[in-house]
Amino acid sequence: MFRLAFKSVRHNPKRLILTAVAVALGVSLVAATQTFTNALSSGFSDLFDDIYAGTDIVVEIDPGAASEEDQGGDPFAAAEGVFSPEDVMAIGDVDGVAIAAGGLQVSGTVLPADAGETSTDALATGGGAPSQIFNWYGEPSVDQSTVVDGRGIEADGEIALDIDSLETLGYSLGDTVSIATETGVDEFTLVGTVRFGEDNNLQGATLAYISDADAHRLADDPNYASVSVIADEGADLDAVVAGIDEVIPDGTRAITGEDKAAEQTEALDDVLQYVDIFAIAFAGISLFVGAYIIVNTFRIIVTQRTREFGLMRAIGVTGRQIRSMILLEAVIVAILASTLGIVMGYLLALAFSWIVSLFAGDIFGTLTLPWDAVVWAYVMGGAVTLVSALLPALHASRVAPMEALRESATGGKKPLKVRNIVGGALALIGAGLVTLGLYVDLDKPYIYVGAGAAVLVVGVTLLAAQLLSPLAGAMRRPLTSWFRVDGKLAANNIQREPRRSANTAAALMIGVMLLALVATFTESLKTVVTSEFSSTKADLFATSTQGPIPDGAIDVIAGVDGVEFTSSIGFGTADYDGTQYAVGVIDPETAAETYEYATDPAIGDLSDGEVYINPVIEELGVEVGDEVTLTGTEGDVTLEVTGRYLNENEGAFFVTFPTGDELFGDVQAVQTLVVFDDTVVPDDQEPAAGEITFTDQQEKIQEALSEDFPLVILAQPGQLEQLANQFIDLLLGIISALLGSALVIALLGVANTLLLSVTERTREIGLLRAVGMKRRSVWRMITIESMIMAVFGTILGMVLGVALGSALVLSLADFGFDGVTIPWVWLIVYTVLAAIAGVLAAIWPAYRASRLDILQAIAADG
Amino acid sequence: MTSTAAPALAASMRDGYKDYGTGEAAVRALDGVNVDIARSEFTAIMGPSGSGKSTLLHTLAGLDKLSAGQSTIADTTITSLSEAQITEVRRKYIGFVFQSFNLIPSLTARENITLPLDISGTKVDKAWFDEIIGILGLGQRLTHLPAELSGGQQQRVAVARALVSRPEIIFADEPSGNLDSKSGAELLAFMQRAVKEFGQTIVMVTHDPTAASYADRILFLEDGTIVDEMREPTADRVLDRMKQMGH
Repeated sequence: MFRLAFKSVRHNPKRLILTAVAVALGVSLVAATQTFTNALSSGFSDLFDDIYAGTDIVVEIDPGAASEEDQGGDPFAAAEGVFSPEDVMAIGDVDGVAIAAGGLQVSGTVLPADAGETSTDALATGGGAPSQIFNWYGEPSVDQSTVVDGRGIEADGEIALDIDSLETLGYSLGDTVSIATETGVDEFTLVGTVRFGEDNNLQGATLAYISDADAHRLADDPNYASVSVIADEGADLDAVVAGIDEVIPDGTRAITGEDKAAEQTEALDDVLQYVDIFAIAFAGISLFVGAYIIVNTFRIIVTQRTREFGLMRAIGVTGRQIRSMILLEAVIVAILASTLGIVMGYLLALAFSWIVSLFAGDIFGTLTLPWDAVVWAYVMGGAVTLVSALLPALHASRVAPMEALRESATGGKKPLKVRNIVGGALALIGAGLVTLGLYVDLDKPYIYVGAGAAVLVVGVTLLAAQLLSPLAGAMRRPLTSWFRVDGKLAANNIQREPRRSANTAAALMIGVMLLALVATFTESLKTVVTSEFSSTKADLFATSTQGPIPDGAIDVIAGVDGVEFTSSIGFGTADYDGTQYAVGVIDPETAAETYEYATDPAIGDLSDGEVYINPVIEELGVEVGDEVTLTGTEGDVTLEVTGRYLNENEGAFFVTFPTGDELFGDVQAVQTLVVFDDTVVPDDQEPAAGEITFTDQQEKIQEALSEDFPLVILAQPGQLEQLANQFIDLLLGIISALLGSALVIALLGVANTLLLSVTERTREIGLLRAVGMKRRSVWRMITIESMIMAVFGTILGMVLGVALGSALVLSLADFGFDGVTIPWVWLIVYTVLAAIAGVLAAIWPAYRASRLDILQAIAADG
Repeated sequence: MTSTAAPALAASMRDGYKDYGTGEAAVRALDGVNVDIARSEFTAIMGPSGSGKSTLLHTLAGLDKLSAGQSTIADTTITSLSEAQITEVRRKYIGFVFQSFNLIPSLTARENITLPLDISGTKVDKAWFDEIIGILGLGQRLTHLPAELSGGQQQRVAVARALVSRPEIIFADEPSGNLDSKSGAELLAFMQRAVKEFGQTIVMVTHDPTAASYADRILFLEDGTIVDEMREPTADRVLDRMKQMGH
């Protein structure tokens, strides 16, 4: 039986090629991502090893004891100091400790050498790679760095840079280097260059060292954030750790460097795991689409081989044997395709990492194919192929011996009734599940939505056959008048095999549905963004590229001529009833003037000691008039609820700055809205005496900030809106790219179905050619068929996608979505692309059909 | 059909050679054939299996290319034409009736009949169409799909399709081969009538002496050459002649 199956595959490889490619494409996505994340993980693991290589023991804040606020934060962000110089001394006195060095990181940016001039496009240059600024100890195993040129830090006011940054920032030894921090800009003299670890593997960051005193001064912190410990030679590290644990403050811990590196790698792997899951989800979508093609291919093959199976049955082969033969064929295809997919995926990962390393530097470890990628690939590829081949195999095993003797291979039309009933039921169940997930408050709603969408898709696929029939019938007339017989025959062919055409179109439908869903969502999101920005009266938004906006910067802005007033917004995290919530801190008087807050009553009515709550808190049963107690870093504060904030996004609580200060200490602004007075005129207006244009005014403020606060950047609401929309478009782009493979697979499906159908219609095409149809006409006929299927699938997908997307958007009304924006432009683009794709998918089948040898065609075994 | 000065010959072949395969496996299907097909005549080509009669039909009709020699359709030498030009010739001057699978399954009988005209974008001559349908007795069947027609009806639709564009010549390959004797006789009688009443030229390949006896003239083919010719045949005479050829 195996020999028979193998021979069958080998004898007729062409009909299985596209099937195999479809499976391989889906599989390659899995292999590529896993290889990629694996390499990323090993790259960072090397970095962590480097960081902790020389350090025997690290003393730091215990992440287990830290507040939730700090968890999952940026691992490179500077932590607040908890170790006083006395603590460091105490650690140094512990038995077995040779060196105990306090470490402190400064939040700041090393400015490039040519940063003297005010940058005109602050948004573009403001970001950039972060700088890691540390205090210098002078011991390589503590600093993790060794001096390359010049010398280490010996006095205050000196700085050392890593060798790569020296070049990229454009400095040379002896230069004056500027560092911008929250408090302003400081100048240092460059005395040396250092190499981090073995090969300065910094993942693109800038590394700088300054003196201990300078670090304390810039960080505005007398304490150290961590302590690096070098143990005596031969000391038992575990014993030393235990000894240190006794002298350090509560909420801190000692851990060996080795364990720390492992811990960091593990934490990163947890994050990367989500990337893998994400990729597997998309690969799953691709393979789901692939499954449609496999079902179609095997079904057509089975139909074409009906006589063969009939003959086999006549000479005594059992139905079960025929079934296992087809499944064996499927297994062979699955193994070949998965292997091909793994190879393709690995090459894809190689290519992608090469591209990334061009921009981000060498951040990858060795690119090896992880074994779980191989397992995933074979399991997914195998499962999809086998499950898809099951129904056609069953069908084949039921072929009666008499079928071998029948004249015509095309059986009568089976009614679509059963298919319609099953399809309708599935579609209803699917829609029900989606509705349930979106609108009923359930645990893990996404499971309902996801499963519902999948069931809905299968249901619609089944119904599509019924839909396609009258549609093709209706298109017959216009197609006949445009393309004469070619058009008529194309419409007929679609109608002739409604199941096959519907399945083929449905494969495309899935990809387009997801695209339309995402497009509906992102376009609606854009509308939200636009309305957010249109409801502000601010002329400029000020933000800092690092940390909060220093108070001094706000004073500078407010002091510039032409600025009427500013309004700042700060944020904190407070505990309410055992859970952490975001607290917005505002200045009610100016806030009311700058932004249309959706509150009841108006935001301007908020007073000290009062709080507004959002729907999340309302759902907890809190009402206007109640009192709530919030716990901030400074302690408990009890406030009266006097109003409601109507949107679910942003903060759960809103308080005034004095109240915020009670909760969090000195609350700093994360965003400052700037309002101009009427001496500032629009750019397209000629400024009169005493007036200034908008852009000039913006430059004037930026200029005023540049000296002491270069990290504070200004943007017009329009620019920010544009930026936000660009980000949304990027999101759409990334998802589209990931769905690309599903779409390519769907197109392969269209090509495959047509190809098999051309084989099936060999005689018919031969006859058409014999009675005078030109090759070009045959080509056109196949192309029209392809286009009908492609456009039909696309339109179905768009209808479903927009419907699901709208349902999603409407269910998120609490997050500020106030209506669905249908992405008309995208829909038109998709339809046009679908038509073009239809033409492309038809190329091979049409070529084959138009090149058929007439004599062979009319003599073909039928 | 379109030419006003009617050519004397509907089709002809001069020194036609046709080889299949190369080297050891080479087979010569036509070995220097000379044929003239007169207009308004019903010609049958007979011969045992492998005598090359189907090849002769295919090369005469331009479905297949001769290895050497030349053939003409309505005074046009088709052996030197390109594929596209030959398609044009087939469309304009030739009608076909095959043994089976004559009809496009997705088109109705009427659509199948007018297919050649639809392909070339020519208007259907309503009177002529009705006349053919009347003679062939297909009036009640025009809206049926091929699958809903009997074998005899399907072949009559095929004949109607071949006749509707008034081609210069109709090639028929065993048109009654798959029919029972009554339906076969009816079909051949229609074809004979088309020749007599409308002056249609028909060339038919068959191995059935009864079928051949409907023709005005029979060409006997053996090993790729024409070995004999018979006029005013009867079934018995044809049978006798075939027996001489080893059948």
